[in-house]
Amino acid sequence: METFVQSLVSGVLTGSLYAMIGVGLTVIFGVMRIINLAHGEMVMLGMFGAYWSWTLWRVDPFVSGILWVPVLFLAGMLAYRFLVRPIVPGGELNTLLYTAGLSLLVANLALLLWTGDYRTLNLPYAAQPLRPLGISVPVPLFVAFALAALLTLGLYLFLARTDLGRAVRATSQDQEAAALMGIDVDRIATFTFGLGTALAGAAGVLLVPSLYLYPTVGEILVVKCFVVVVLGGLGSIPGAIAGGVLLGLVESLGAVYVSVAYKDALGFLIFLSVLLFRPQGLFGTRA
Amino acid sequence: MNRLLLASLVSLAVLAAGPPVRAAEGTLKIGAPQPMTGPDAPFGDKFKKAYSLAVEEINAAGGVQGKKLEVILEDHQAKNALAATVAEKLITQEKVLILTGGRASGQAVEIASVAQRLKTPYLVDHPSADIITAKGFEWVFRNNPTGSIYPQAFNKFISEVPGAMPKSAAVIYDNTVFGKTIANSAMTFLKSKGVPIVNDEAYPLNTLDFKPIVTKVKANNPDFVLMVAVATTDAILLTRHAKEIGLKPRAYVGFGGGFGVADFAGQLGPLAQNVFSSAAWSGNPNDGATKAFYDKFHGKYGIYPKEHEVEGYAAIYIVADALKRAKLTGNVEADREAIRQALLKTDMTTVFGKVKFGNYKGPLGDEYTNQNVYSPEHSVLAQWKDGKLQNVWPKQNAETAYTFPDVM
Amino acid sequence: MRRLLPAAAALLLFALPLLTSNQFLLHLGVSVLLWTTLGVAWNLLGGYAGQVSFGHAAFFGAGAYTTMILYLSRGVSPWWGMLAGGAVGAALALPIGLTCFRLRGPYFSLATLAVAEIVRLVALNWESLTAGPVGLLITALPRVTLLGRDLNWERKEPFFAIAAAIAVGAMLAARWVSRSRLGGSLLAIREDEDAAEAIGIDTTRAKVAALMASAFLAGVAGGFYGLYYRYVDPDAVFPISLSVEMVFIAVVGGLRTVAGPVVGAVFLATVAELFRDRFTVGHLIFYGLFMMIVIRWLPEGIWGRALRLLPSRREP
Repeated sequence: METFVQSLVSGVLTGSLYAMIGVGLTVIFGVMRIINLAHGEMVMLGMFGAYWSWTLWRVDPFVSGILWVPVLFLAGMLAYRFLVRPIVPGGELNTLLYTAGLSLLVANLALLLWTGDYRTLNLPYAAQPLRPLGISVPVPLFVAFALAALLTLGLYLFLARTDLGRAVRATSQDQEAAALMGIDVDRIATFTFGLGTALAGAAGVLLVPSLYLYPTVGEILVVKCFVVVVLGGLGSIPGAIAGGVLLGLVESLGAVYVSVAYKDALGFLIFLSVLLFRPQGLFGTRA
Repeated sequence: MNRLLLASLVSLAVLAAGPPVRAAEGTLKIGAPQPMTGPDAPFGDKFKKAYSLAVEEINAAGGVQGKKLEVILEDHQAKNALAATVAEKLITQEKVLILTGGRASGQAVEIASVAQRLKTPYLVDHPSADIITAKGFEWVFRNNPTGSIYPQAFNKFISEVPGAMPKSAAVIYDNTVFGKTIANSAMTFLKSKGVPIVNDEAYPLNTLDFKPIVTKVKANNPDFVLMVAVATTDAILLTRHAKEIGLKPRAYVGFGGGFGVADFAGQLGPLAQNVFSSAAWSGNPNDGATKAFYDKFHGKYGIYPKEHEVEGYAAIYIVADALKRAKLTGNVEADREAIRQALLKTDMTTVFGKVKFGNYKGPLGDEYTNQNVYSPEHSVLAQWKDGKLQNVWPKQNAETAYTFPDVM
Repeated sequence: MRRLLPAAAALLLFALPLLTSNQFLLHLGVSVLLWTTLGVAWNLLGGYAGQVSFGHAAFFGAGAYTTMILYLSRGVSPWWGMLAGGAVGAALALPIGLTCFRLRGPYFSLATLAVAEIVRLVALNWESLTAGPVGLLITALPRVTLLGRDLNWERKEPFFAIAAAIAVGAMLAARWVSRSRLGGSLLAIREDEDAAEAIGIDTTRAKVAALMASAFLAGVAGGFYGLYYRYVDPDAVFPISLSVEMVFIAVVGGLRTVAGPVVGAVFLATVAELFRDRFTVGHLIFYGLFMMIVIRWLPEGIWGRALRLLPSRREP
């Protein structure tokens, strides 16, 4: 029983971080139909930002995020304006390969700047996990979980309640109709790319005390991130959250009750079955 | 638009076509394929440092046969096909006399295969898959122990220390050549002693969450936990998650690269305390020459050398020794054969330990060719104590007393 | 002019062994030909039918393992083994196609990616068949006599000839498909799948046929990889990066052109080699930049742009 509860808790906590990475990707896809292969590198940049703030100035990552998330928001908008926007008319496939090039570029620049060393960020208050009812809950993972939940709630309110948020949703539903209603679609696209990048950065900041970082860490995150996003339905934010938690649970329970060696395959199998039987995802609406 | 395109393509072309850093004339060239980019890049860098130091020293002392040594590094990005390409290039274009390096086993197998076909000696300095010296490649030599030898010191420890024989063991290893070989070797020995293996878990490389795996292991309450990780990142997370979940065996024993690098304690802090590491050793620290090397390396780079750096540094000295004894004519093919003959007669001591190449049978029955005959002695059981990895077994190489059982 | 140019370029490439005996240049030539075959294979489905697969490594890897296993455990000559590799690739494509083609657009692409990862994990864990992560190593190739002389497998020339034959065969097949009825159906599917369905094209059948042809070629290329590099392990023949590289070669060369993949492969291999030669650590920065520049300013691919500039009618 303890084993079961423990794997449930671990699954949900890890899944929430998968979800956090997925949300940024899904927001961008929803509005622009761009699959951003450089998304993992944006997470990596967030991680390095938090890491250096801690190493050089002893600023807690959960605090330095206040700086890095807006910085990445700006960087994302600039990247869209000057790098990505000219490519979009070339079609989905070209955009995708273009972002693959961008991801190589960013990861290897980071390698040149910061070397390939593996780094971790150890918070003094993270040495001992919380143990409610004998279940182990690592502190940084728990804080990250709480902050991720808050951020997503904020995002949800923003999209539901503000004019800008409504414009983003309208654009994501139907670009032409949005343009007819007087929405500056291009501005919204720029904003959304910034938003997605900022969310990736936030995920990086939240992940770093529980994981490790090195310049090409994005590679191992980005595939999971696809699974999460498609599970929930490309473009759907609640879907990405559900997808993340589901993947976390599948991997966790799969490792305990099925096979450690096949836990990743299990994730992909579920992914495939969702694709086949509910291609719009668990939460998506059919286009 | 077209002008912009032209401008960017031309500038890239100019960058690419500019004079590359070419090998100097009249040097004795050693080729070293290493991962300089990608996830393994830190290891390429370790070897680069070790090679440079050794080459500097040898050249400062007058070089070999009046010529200077030169190491040509090529990046293989931890990709097998690229490792083969790079090895071909070093042999046919750069005309190196001998190859070393490789870093991971998959790439080393390709390099060995190319070296064998193109009749160029290849001194393996770190890759540990048994297959590399178990296929009868007479051009391939290996100084470091094979994967199946890694657990030897641990086997000795549990057999010789009273009460240390595990009552049960959980084995958690990465699903790579490295992880599999070591886990098989350790489990074969434990089974021969009648120790029940309560968990046999192969996890995928770069696992992000080990908590489910260790939760499963915890339910069986194993007496010993054996962990194998080729990647430092996996070693760190696995140990951290096992301790967080509250797994409390009498001993945590790590095998392989991840558990023997300075990063392990640096990143884990107190969680690393008392974790054992049974691996290829980093030379005998009680030996004066080895100690002097540690200090010299620290003086130059600010870090103490471990397994990888010691292996890389030793490899250059073994090559230099063979070059010294070989009759070099300037004909590359004849020289390579002369070097191979010289390597067959190698009998020396480096900072890594004694080396002499021979053919014998490994712990899992592999027939080794040109494998260092002292390899079985080059496995050591060390323990992390206050951020330092100190040898504890076998006794003659011990730096300090072991802490067992682990009461952390 | 437009007919002569590709022919001349192809001749120049295939005549490489007559121009040079430099073994490293020939080695690069062999890898270019291997990539060409993969680009052509991917283009059959991704270019002509517009079905973007991110899982072609599955067919490549299946071909590589088939050839190696047949040779090592059954002693089947690798030359037949390569064909068997292609056949296994095609056979694997049938169930994959029937399931994944229920999806369209990015959903199809992601499904192929998932399938390829599952295949990789199976190969990694099915140790009795594949030796798992240890991989399969060939130490010697069988003797082959041609015109009374033993072929020397230590030289690159014989491999070059085989790789060239495979690449030319693949290109001829692509040309034939593009001009056949199947090619017409594929183009119609790419333009508008529902419309194609409406005018009576069995779209699933056409797509599965294209996938199987494509997988056959990828499987043969995989078999060749095994023989040439003499060692396969799951990370080398099944990675996602391999699938993406195939896409990139087809796109950089020019989608829906027969010669595009040759141009793409030559270009990418040369650029990668030049940058790597020049910068030990930073070379991938420039490679990434190069990818971005080509797609930014040559969205129709290098050969695609060249065709447009050359004064003649469009290539069918």
